[in-house]
Amino acid sequence: MPSQPSYFDELCTAMALLGREPNTIFMGQAVAVPGTTMADTFRKVPNEKRLEMPVAEDMQMGMAIGMALSGYLPVCVFPRWNFLLLAANQLVNHLDRLPLYSDGGYRPKVIIRTAVPSAHPFNPGPQHDDDFTGAFRRMLRTVKVETLSHASSIVPAYAAAMRADHSTLLVEYTEQYKKERGNVRFA
Amino acid sequence: MLNAEDLIAFEREIAAEFEAGRIKAPVHFAGGNEQQLIDVFRTISPRDWVLCSWRSHYHCLLKGVPREQVKTAILKGRSIALCFPQYRILSSAIVGGICPIATGLAWAIKERGGPERVHVFLGDMSANTGISHECVKYCAGHDLPVRWIIEDNKKSVCTDTRATWGELTPAISLTCYDYKLTWPHVGTGQWVRF
Repeated sequence: MPSQPSYFDELCTAMALLGREPNTIFMGQAVAVPGTTMADTFRKVPNEKRLEMPVAEDMQMGMAIGMALSGYLPVCVFPRWNFLLLAANQLVNHLDRLPLYSDGGYRPKVIIRTAVPSAHPFNPGPQHDDDFTGAFRRMLRTVKVETLSHASSIVPAYAAAMRADHSTLLVEYTEQYKKERGNVRFA
Repeated sequence: MLNAEDLIAFEREIAAEFEAGRIKAPVHFAGGNEQQLIDVFRTISPRDWVLCSWRSHYHCLLKGVPREQVKTAILKGRSIALCFPQYRILSSAIVGGICPIATGLAWAIKERGGPERVHVFLGDMSANTGISHECVKYCAGHDLPVRWIIEDNKKSVCTDTRATWGELTPAISLTCYDYKLTWPHVGTGQWVRF
């Protein structure tokens, strides 16, 4: 009996799926270079679609809005919730609220990817280990928040985000990587 | 193009509506910068983007939005964040909020080789925020088609911009040394099993 695709494999498949869309652009830290747990999942995404960003989270999120208004579909990557918190102004006040305060005139669509880290037995500490999913669900009015609890949910969730007429924030759990790999690597 | 009298007359008309209680939302009136803006807008093309803040009635009018359309939006309570996609105008009522959006628009224009430009209007306090500095630096570093226009009335609400920041363009001395890290960013680079 063939084995089920792993959580990590499904993330790679989802990124490859997005990478085949003509208007996607992947942006963030460690999307074009190694450096995070997520970095390997972009291996099937063409290099010309990967935009390595400086560490400027709010600028990154705002740039994604501008790109989306120009017809791109940005896949905006933040390796942890604690880092995405620094982009909260652009996420909440602009990406989420622009369709409202422009009376539907501007509807930028961005796919946001972030993660909740594994905390046991290796603990990244209280500035790196948070899950703000519930708080952001309460703050966001137009951006949909999806949690990727199981491998089987990943590709359908990204496919839905791609088809949607709104932005989507997808939350993954690196605990799932650990279960599969049985180890932790920091490169 | 509209002249200074046209702009002032529009703002007086809106002020009358406001004082009559027909606008149930905040309004930031413009005044004193009519000729400066008229001069700036002479070099803005209809295909260009204009990004501005909570005080943008003049900018919308000068970009070509019909006065009745601007007035209707204001009467609906949208004065502090006016948006007119068909005229490529986008505003935000959050300090510095337009800077990265402008940067993304400019990135896309350059990527596609488009002829248009992005014009960003910032108050003097907004122009001194971290986000504006980041965006100005990114745009300059990547040669993106953006023009930053600082509308300097020396204050933010009632706060004196220069008094709070001190000297705005001081000569800054930083200590910097070069090195090459002998380890990976974190850990040893080896797989670890727990």
